[in-house]
Amino acid sequence: MVSHRVALIAATCTLLATAAVIASAQTTSRVPAAVAARSIAIDERFAEDEHLKVGDRVVISGDPGAAATGSGDTAVIAAITKQGTDPSEIARDEYRVRLHLTDLQRLTGAADRVDRFAIRTAGGAAADSVRASINAAAFGFHAYRSIDVAVGTSRTFQVVSRFHHAIALITIVASGIFLLCILLLRVEERRRDIAALRLIGISRRSVVWSVVLEAALISVVGSALGTGIGWLGSLLINWHYRGVYRTPLAFALVTPNIVVAAVVLAIGLGVGAGFVAAMRLVRTPPLTLFGR
Amino acid sequence: MIRTLAAASLRRHPARTILAILGVAVAGALLLDMVMLGTGMRESFRRFLLVQGFQLRIAPKGTLPMDTEATINGASALLRTLRTNPDIIAITPVLGAQIHVLQGTRAITSFAVGIDESTEADYQLEAGTNVAAPDHIVGNAAFLTAMHVHRGDTVDVVTGFDPQLRTYVGRRRLVVVGRGRFFYTSAEQPVAAVPLATMQAMGGPERADRVSLVLARVRDSANADSAAAWVDRTIPRVSTISTDAAMRQVDERMGYFRQLAVILAAVSLIVGFLLVTTLVTVSVNERLGEIAVMRAIGVRRVHIVQQIVLEGVTLSLVGAVAGLGLGLVTAHFLNAILSDFPGLPATFHFFLFQPSAAARSLGLLVIAGILAGVYPAWRAASLPIAGTLRREAIA
Repeated sequence: MVSHRVALIAATCTLLATAAVIASAQTTSRVPAAVAARSIAIDERFAEDEHLKVGDRVVISGDPGAAATGSGDTAVIAAITKQGTDPSEIARDEYRVRLHLTDLQRLTGAADRVDRFAIRTAGGAAADSVRASINAAAFGFHAYRSIDVAVGTSRTFQVVSRFHHAIALITIVASGIFLLCILLLRVEERRRDIAALRLIGISRRSVVWSVVLEAALISVVGSALGTGIGWLGSLLINWHYRGVYRTPLAFALVTPNIVVAAVVLAIGLGVGAGFVAAMRLVRTPPLTLFGR
Repeated sequence: MIRTLAAASLRRHPARTILAILGVAVAGALLLDMVMLGTGMRESFRRFLLVQGFQLRIAPKGTLPMDTEATINGASALLRTLRTNPDIIAITPVLGAQIHVLQGTRAITSFAVGIDESTEADYQLEAGTNVAAPDHIVGNAAFLTAMHVHRGDTVDVVTGFDPQLRTYVGRRRLVVVGRGRFFYTSAEQPVAAVPLATMQAMGGPERADRVSLVLARVRDSANADSAAAWVDRTIPRVSTISTDAAMRQVDERMGYFRQLAVILAAVSLIVGFLLVTTLVTVSVNERLGEIAVMRAIGVRRVHIVQQIVLEGVTLSLVGAVAGLGLGLVTAHFLNAILSDFPGLPATFHFFLFQPSAAARSLGLLVIAGILAGVYPAWRAASLPIAGTLRREAIA
């Protein structure tokens, strides 16, 4: 008999309750015959790992030691559910089993108790007034808007997002310096060409424009390549982490906004660096650039 | 002479040199941060688990320590069985539960642990005294703040509280005797410790002989994994996890940060390498004539190579040293961001400075600097002297 820690959820439209632990067995011979079978739904990861399928019988219990003693209630697997895309569950390597509310209440000894109610209201404005009226009348419990609960449970990902932004900032600084350095070198390599252009009468403005245009072109080509590499990278990242965490969640997204921001940033940095490098050269007398 | 020539070459274009050093410094800072993240998080977690030297955590079957409200029945028998193993030299049971402190019509919620006063391992006393009597309670700073109490005050504590009916299973008046820093809970979460017997008694007959977790210390000469296997075999109603097994689970679940660290460290190293290579290559191209003259007057090829490699190493070394300082500042900043993870214990750090991590980062950057100088140095040393001089003269 294999024992697993799982979250048990009462599957009704409005009520949820959680407990932890289930002992499972694939063979019906171990199931106490006197106990009436209940129907449950298990998540696809659990089904896959334990080779369970619809119609199999398992033993469930709210007591972690039930697997050892052989006690517990019989249940029939009535459905296999897809895993939800809730990011707050990602770090918890936990199976989900759904039961009828009354079954879970009986199993956990929490008769006529629930953890929370979910209420559907007629529109967003009604949600606020219903919440206010519940909180004014309720004693011993509190009503929250779904959005507030979602914000609370997604705090982990807000932290990760802030961390990514900070890393991105450092990367931008590093790439900005790198770009400035490269463009400075590229422009300085052509100091004699620029000196010749200045000596034959090409204006400083034209020289600066030509350098800036070149820098902009390099940035556009570079950012197009970068976007392609980023898109391929996101495919790789999603493929890898979806496998690691066994979730349908998307870990990396290349959205139009992100592409626009990256391209604008790259062109801005490139043009800025090109301008600085060009200005440095055109301020130097042409003969000095020739080394005289 | 080699050092003088290398220094002169770097001084010739100060803006370029400063930019290269800056670039290497930022790359070095990111490299140090990622090495700190990759190794520090693991080390921090190991220290966190071994803070009081207990290598085994025994939880209800199928659960992780204090992850659910499940408890182990027959705690006394469990402890007696554990004491029969000569490799286990210390045991401390813990019972966790939610408590409510009644203040007039209000009931303030907190988490509390029932501990064995003689072997407790959950907190470090910051002020006052440890729990030594059945009516003693020690809270963390968040607990004292939330309850508006100070050391010496008495609190009215209940367990199994039903806020609707205002009924409870157990009730005690406890004296706050100390303030502690709890290792396994976040600093902002109110948490308190009371004697185990008090907590069990407050839970009613159902909790009389139950614990949530047992920590066990294994003698140094024994294998903790073997001891964990013995416990699981001997007491089937529990799951035992050793520090090494917990570390393996952390490696598996927190692999994201380690992989991110490896990728970003590799990227920063490549950026630093490319920057120095480009700079040294351009610098060599600009003075091909000078190098040819040096070769023509008898300077040996190896000295040319040494000079150019030295330029690359100098850029990398100076940039790396600056990067170490910058990296420590950014690591502090990044750690502050990640410390906001909900429920993260105060003793846990993602970025942990270790001299070995700094030495590794510095070493990697210096190696990158040496490699960066190799190609331009080889190119310069293999120049045909006469042809180069003629080309430079015409130019």
